[in-house]
Amino acid sequence: MTAVLPLSAILIFAAPISAVLISFFLVRPFKPRWTHWPILISCAVVAVSAVRIAMRVYTTGPLDVTLAQWMVAGSWSLSFGLRLDGLSSAVLAMVAVVGALIHVYAAGYMEEDECMPRFFLFFHLFYLAMIGLLTSNNYVQLYLFWEMVGMASYYLIGFWYHKATARRAAMQAFLVNRVGDFGFMLAALLLLSAFPGSGARFTAVFPAVAKAPPALVCAIGYLLFWAATAKSAQFPLYFWLPDAMEGPTPVSALMHAATMVTAGIFLMARSWPLIAGVPHLPHLIAWVGAATALGAGIVAATKTDLKRILAYSTVSHLGIMALGVGLGEIGAGIFHLITHGFFKAVLFLCAGNIAHGLGKPTATVDEAGGLIKKMPLTFVCFTVAAFSLAGIWPFAGFYSKDAVLDAAHAFGPGMGLVASAIGFMSAFYIFRMLFLVFLGPRPRQEGGEHGGHHIHEAGLWMGIPVLLISIGAVCVGWFGGQLQSLLSMGWMAAAAPTVPHMKVLEAWPSLALAFAGAAASYWWTTIKPNWDWDWREKSPALAAVFASDFGWKPAMAWVAQAVVALSNWLGLSLDKGSWDRLIEASAEGAVEAGGAGAALATGSVNDYVWWMAAGVAVLLLAVLFL
Amino acid sequence: MIFSPLTILWALPIVGGFLALALRSGKRAGVFSIALSLISLAFCALLPWREGAALAVTGPAWAYGIHYALSMDGLSWVMCLLNAFLTVIALVSSLGEERSAGYWAAFLFLEGALMGVFLASDLFLFYVFWEVVLIPMFFIIGLWGSANRKHAAVKFFLFTFFGSVLMLLGILALVTLRHRATGVWSWDMQGLQGVATGPAAWAIFAALTVGFGVKVPIVPLHTWLPDAHTEAPAAGSIMLAGVMLKMGVYGFLRIAIPIFPHLSWRLLPWLAAIAAINIIYGAFCALAQSDLKRLVAYSSIAHLGFCLVGVFSRTVEGLAGGTLQLINHGLTTGALFLMVGILYERSHKRGIRDFGALFGQAPWLTFFFSFSIMASIGLPGLNGFVGEFMSLAGAARVLPILAVAGVAGVTLAAAYALPAYQLVFWGDRGPSSVSSHVTDLTVREQALLWVLCLGMLYIGLHPSGLLSVITPATKGLAL
Repeated sequence: MTAVLPLSAILIFAAPISAVLISFFLVRPFKPRWTHWPILISCAVVAVSAVRIAMRVYTTGPLDVTLAQWMVAGSWSLSFGLRLDGLSSAVLAMVAVVGALIHVYAAGYMEEDECMPRFFLFFHLFYLAMIGLLTSNNYVQLYLFWEMVGMASYYLIGFWYHKATARRAAMQAFLVNRVGDFGFMLAALLLLSAFPGSGARFTAVFPAVAKAPPALVCAIGYLLFWAATAKSAQFPLYFWLPDAMEGPTPVSALMHAATMVTAGIFLMARSWPLIAGVPHLPHLIAWVGAATALGAGIVAATKTDLKRILAYSTVSHLGIMALGVGLGEIGAGIFHLITHGFFKAVLFLCAGNIAHGLGKPTATVDEAGGLIKKMPLTFVCFTVAAFSLAGIWPFAGFYSKDAVLDAAHAFGPGMGLVASAIGFMSAFYIFRMLFLVFLGPRPRQEGGEHGGHHIHEAGLWMGIPVLLISIGAVCVGWFGGQLQSLLSMGWMAAAAPTVPHMKVLEAWPSLALAFAGAAASYWWTTIKPNWDWDWREKSPALAAVFASDFGWKPAMAWVAQAVVALSNWLGLSLDKGSWDRLIEASAEGAVEAGGAGAALATGSVNDYVWWMAAGVAVLLLAVLFL
Repeated sequence: MIFSPLTILWALPIVGGFLALALRSGKRAGVFSIALSLISLAFCALLPWREGAALAVTGPAWAYGIHYALSMDGLSWVMCLLNAFLTVIALVSSLGEERSAGYWAAFLFLEGALMGVFLASDLFLFYVFWEVVLIPMFFIIGLWGSANRKHAAVKFFLFTFFGSVLMLLGILALVTLRHRATGVWSWDMQGLQGVATGPAAWAIFAALTVGFGVKVPIVPLHTWLPDAHTEAPAAGSIMLAGVMLKMGVYGFLRIAIPIFPHLSWRLLPWLAAIAAINIIYGAFCALAQSDLKRLVAYSSIAHLGFCLVGVFSRTVEGLAGGTLQLINHGLTTGALFLMVGILYERSHKRGIRDFGALFGQAPWLTFFFSFSIMASIGLPGLNGFVGEFMSLAGAARVLPILAVAGVAGVTLAAAYALPAYQLVFWGDRGPSSVSSHVTDLTVREQALLWVLCLGMLYIGLHPSGLLSVITPATKGLAL
C-alpha cells in the first residue's frame, strides 16, 4: 500500500517533529535561549516543502496514500494516511508560509520572556497540528489533529497562566471547542457505521454517499457543521475566539490567520461532497455565516482594544467564508480563507508591534493615536492590510471577498442586502481602527506616550516578517485563476470549484460601499474626534448591548453556571448527601436491628419455651395445611 | 499436572509475600518486593502462551467436581500484564516513605490473588481468588490509609462482599442446574451456556450483573469507591483503580456474557442504560468534587462506563476497544493517582483549592500531570481516545443513542478535568495554599512517570500491537 512519498511530503512532518524533540530534549536543558533555533529551521523547511507540494500537485495531480494501521480489530480498521490534493495543498502553502513568518516574528516578540522555550514548543506543535489536519486522508485522523490544535491552543492562550483572564480564556476556548468536537466525534462514529469498511477515508466515503442511509448522512452533515461552528467561530459557538486574545500576540496571529480558525471552513470544504446533498444544510451554513459576519462586524466597530477589534473582524470574515461555502462557492470561500490568512496576520502583527512598542501585552485605542510618525513601517503595512480587508482593488481581499459577496447578491435580495451591510461594516471598522490608531492624537488619546514610555518602531525580527506578509496581502488575490486549477486537482464532488474573476469596473457597487464605510469612519473618528468616546458615555445601555454581544455572552455564562449547578446537585446533594447517606444508614440500621434482636435473648428459660412452642405450632400448621 | 508456568505466575508473588514478611525489616522487604515484582513482570511478559490454551492446567478433582484449573488467552494475558506492571509502579512509588514489611507483603499477596482471578478457569477457584483479593486490599486501606481509613476499609469490604455473595449464589445455581441436567458436578467455566433457561436464567444473570457491577462499579452500587480511593494510600489507589475495578468488567467478559450470550443481548437497552448512566453520572459527580482523589475516583466510574459500552455492544471493535480501555484506564489513572499521592506526600493535602501555581515550582510534575490529564480526557494520539473511540464505534453500530451519551461523556470529561488541573497548577495561591511544600519530582518519580506516559503515547499511536492480542480472545463474543 505504501507508495513512495515525495521528500517534501515527508519533511512537512519530519521537520517539525524532530525540531520539537531536539528543542525539548537537547537544546532546552542546556541552552534555553536557543530553543527556537531548531524550530525556526524547521519552519523554513516546512514552508519550502509546502510550496513544492503545491507546485507538484498543480503539475502532476493529487496524491492519496495510506501509510500505517492505527486501530485494528478483526476486519474493522482505521489507518493513518496522507492526502495531498488541490484543496489541502493550497491551504497548506498559505499556512506554512504565513505560519513560518509568524514564528520569525515570535522570535523577536518573545525574546525577553523567560518562558520562551515553552512558548516555542507549543507554538510549533500548534503549527504541526494544523499541517496534519490539512493533509489527513480520513476523518478520524483529521479529528486527531483537530483536537491537537485545540490542545495546543489551550496551552498557548493560557501561556501567561498567572493572569486570571488568560486562564479563564484558555479554559473557555478548550471547553467550547469540546462542545463543538462533540459533533465531530459523533459524526466520525456515525460515518463508520454508515460507511462500513470505509475506514472514514474521504475517497471511500464520498463516492458512497448516495448509497448510504439518508438519515445518517443528514445527521453527519449537521454534526460536522456543528463542529465547524466551534473551531471556525460561527454563531452560536463563536464567543471563545475574542477572549482567546489573552495569549501572546503571535499566538493570536497564528490562530486567527493561519491555523485553528480556518480548520472549520476547511472541514466544510473537505466534506462538501457530503454536505452538498444534505437537505437545507448548505443554506443553513450560508445564513449562519451571513448572520455571524454581520453581527461580529457591528460589534467589531464598538471595541476599543486593538486585538479585540481584530478578533471580531476574524469572526466576521470567517462568517464570510462560511457564507461562500454555504452558497456552494467553495472556490471563493477557500480563496478568501487564503487571502484572509495574509492580511489578518499583518493586522495582528501590527497590533502586536504597537503593544510591544508601548511595552504592554495589549493596547487600546485610548493609548494610541498619531502613531503615523512614530511607527511609519507599521503604518504602511497596516494600511495595506486594511485596504485588503476592506476589499479595495487591487488588494488581495478585493478578489476573494467580493467573489463571495457577489455570490450572495446572486442568491437573493435578502442575502444581497446582508452582504452589502457586511461589506460596509468591514470597511467601517477597519478604517476606524486605522484612523484612531495612526491619525490624531485626539484629546482623549495618549498618543503612544503611555506612562512616560515613548513608543518605538519594531526591530528587524518583528518588522521584516510583517513586511513580507504584507506583500502577500497585496498580491495573493491576483492568482485566482491558478488557485482554480489547483483546487480542481483531486476534487471529489461532481462539479469542480470555480474562483470567479472579479473585474474592478463590474464590482463598482461593492467598491462604492467600501469607500462609503471608509468615509463614514473618517467622519466619526477624525472630523468628529470625540464621537467614539461620547456615544459610549451618552448611551451606556447601548454600549452594554454591544459589550455583551447582543446578550449572547450572558446567555452562555448562564448555561455554564447551570451545568455547574446540576453537577453540584448530582455530585454533592444526591450522591453524597442522599444516596450514600442512605447506604451508610442501612449499616446502622442493621446494627440497631441486631440490638433489637438481642433484646429477645432475655436469658429466661421460660421465655425460650414459649418461643419454642410458638415455632412448633407454626410448623405443625404448615405441615397440616400446605 | 499442577505445576506449570501459570501456577508460578500467581504463586510467585504469594510466596514472595511470605518471604517479605519473614524479612521483617521494612527496607529489606521493600527492595525484595520490588525485585520480585520485576521478576514476575518479566515472567508474565515472556510467558510463551498461545491462543487456544497452550499452557492450561487442570489438577485432579476435589469434592463436587471442583478442579484446580488455570488457562490463559489474550484477555488473561493482558490483564495479568497490567497487574504485574502496575504492581511494580505501585511498589516503586512507595519507596518515598518508611513502610513496614507487612505493607510490601500485602501488595505481593494482592498481585498473586489478582493473577489467580485472571487465570482461573474453574468457577470455584475463580470465586476463591476473587474473595482473597479483598483481604490484602482491606489491610492496605485499613492500616496504611489516611485519617478515615477504618470506616472506608469496612465499607469497602462489606460492599464488595455483598456483591461477591450474589455472584456466588449465581455460580452455585449454575453449577446445580448443570448437575441436574447432566448428572455431573463440574465447575468448569465452559459448557454452562444454556443450562439455565426462563426465569432462572434471568435471576442468575441479574445476580452476576450485580456481583460484577459492584466491582466495576456501576451506578448506583458505586459509593464504596470514592471513600476507598480517598482513604487508601496512593499505591493502594493505583492497584484499586488500575486492576481491581477491572475484575468486574473481566467478569462480564469471562462469565456473564459467554454463559448468557442471548439474554445479555436481549437486555442490551438496559445494560446500555447502565453504561450510559455511569459515563454521564460519573462525569457530573466528578465535576462537583473539591478533593483531587475523589475527582479521579469519580472519573474512574465514568471511564469504566466506556469499557462497559464497548463490551455490551458485542461488536468486534467494541469488545476489543472496551478491553483495551481497561489497560488504558490502568495506565492513565495509575499515573494520576501516583501524582496526587506525590502531592499528598509532600503537603498532606488533597483539596483542589489547597494548591495553586505549582507550574513554576514543579515543572516536571506539571508536565506529567498535563500529559496524563490529556490522556484521561481522550485526546486523540494518546491511549484514552483509542479505547473510547473503538468502544463507541461499536455502540454507534448497534445503538446510536448510546454513542451520543458516550460522546457527551467525552465532552464532560474536559469540563471536570481541566478546571481542577488549572486550579492546582496555574491558579493563584490562596491564603491557605500549601504549594510551597511541593517540591518537584525526584529522579525515581520521573522515571515511573516517563514509563507510564510513554506507554500512553505508544498505545495512542500504535494500539494494534495490544489489539492483535486482545481481539482473538474477545471476538468470539461478538454477534
